[in-house]
Amino acid sequence: MNRRHILIPAGALLAIVVGFLVWGGLSENAVYYLTPSEAVDQRADQEPGYRFRLGGLVEADWLEGTDDGVRFTVGDGAVSIAVSHAGAVPQLFRPGIGVVVEGAWEGDTFRSDTLLINHDEQYRAVDGEGTYQVPTAGP
Amino acid sequence: MTVAAATLHPRSRVIAATGVAALCLTAAGLYMSVTAPDEESQGEAARLLFVHVPSAITAYIALGTGLVTAIWYLIRRSPASDLLSAAAIEVGVLFTAITLLTGMIWGRFVWGVWWDWGDARMVSTAVLFFFYLGYLALRRSITDPGVRAVRCAVLGIVGFVQVPMVHYSVLWFRTLHQGPSIIRPDLANSTMDAAFVAPLGVALAAFMAALAYLVAVRVRIARLEAAVARSATTSQPVGASVYPPRLGGRDGG
Repeated sequence: MNRRHILIPAGALLAIVVGFLVWGGLSENAVYYLTPSEAVDQRADQEPGYRFRLGGLVEADWLEGTDDGVRFTVGDGAVSIAVSHAGAVPQLFRPGIGVVVEGAWEGDTFRSDTLLINHDEQYRAVDGEGTYQVPTAGP
Repeated sequence: MTVAAATLHPRSRVIAATGVAALCLTAAGLYMSVTAPDEESQGEAARLLFVHVPSAITAYIALGTGLVTAIWYLIRRSPASDLLSAAAIEVGVLFTAITLLTGMIWGRFVWGVWWDWGDARMVSTAVLFFFYLGYLALRRSITDPGVRAVRCAVLGIVGFVQVPMVHYSVLWFRTLHQGPSIIRPDLANSTMDAAFVAPLGVALAAFMAALAYLVAVRVRIARLEAAVARSATTSQPVGASVYPPRLGGRDGG
């Protein structure tokens, strides 16, 4: 049975190679998003229009509706970046929640077209607060 | 004969009792999941936690059982541990699928997307799922029980490497998927209210009982299949007596 002697090591080798390829792919994506501090630091090295993901908390002090979406600031405690998002926002969007926005710099504003909620591992029983209403463009 | 003896085995009662326990725990877990309070920001979507997390842990344990029994097979070459390994991995694939599906539904509600290929937890779980689907395909592609057992044991052992990779992916990488709430590096600081821990615990017990039941039933089916296959090969009429009857593949029964 020399087929067995070839097949098993070959299969194991294949699995290991595939594993390394996948692992390498994951490592490239190891930084799923940049924090606001990293985004500001790395801005000088980026091509204009470079697309990346920016992640942080939606800050409570400024959030307004626009014609095509919402404007708000995303911060990490040290740096805040103004984000102008085009499109609908997920149901959980509200001040204080983690978000990941995808887009590029447009002046000093981050122009985003994809907005994901980056929910943390906190699970807190509801305390009876009303649901949050995302503001829309004013009259 | 063999088949009738297997179905009337006293072990059947234990298996049936496990099934009943799984049903009762599932009913209790469902009731507790539905009556648990809403989560502060996720609302109703947080209830998926009571299916998603237990099924993920159960999948880990099933694949871990597959690993241990595969190693045991390679040491002792006992056909029983091969069947147990295959059954555990097959059920583990089922629970991995449930984990992926409930995770996608939760993601759609909470993150706003069904899937994201940039997330290490999602991608590693999908790779795990397809790897073990490959294991099941390999099992079906080999007819000789001895050859099949050795090759599948090797694959079952190699594949388990992915389980810690899946679990720690959220700690090693910056991901969209949140980190662990309870089984975390600082165990004392659970980030989950007690109101959610109780239904989660009961649901986990239900999944464990279901795992035990499904694996036991799957092993019984595999035993009956093997018995049928053996009786088919040993009852060849003319000329069969020329060759010594094979009872258990290369293991000699």
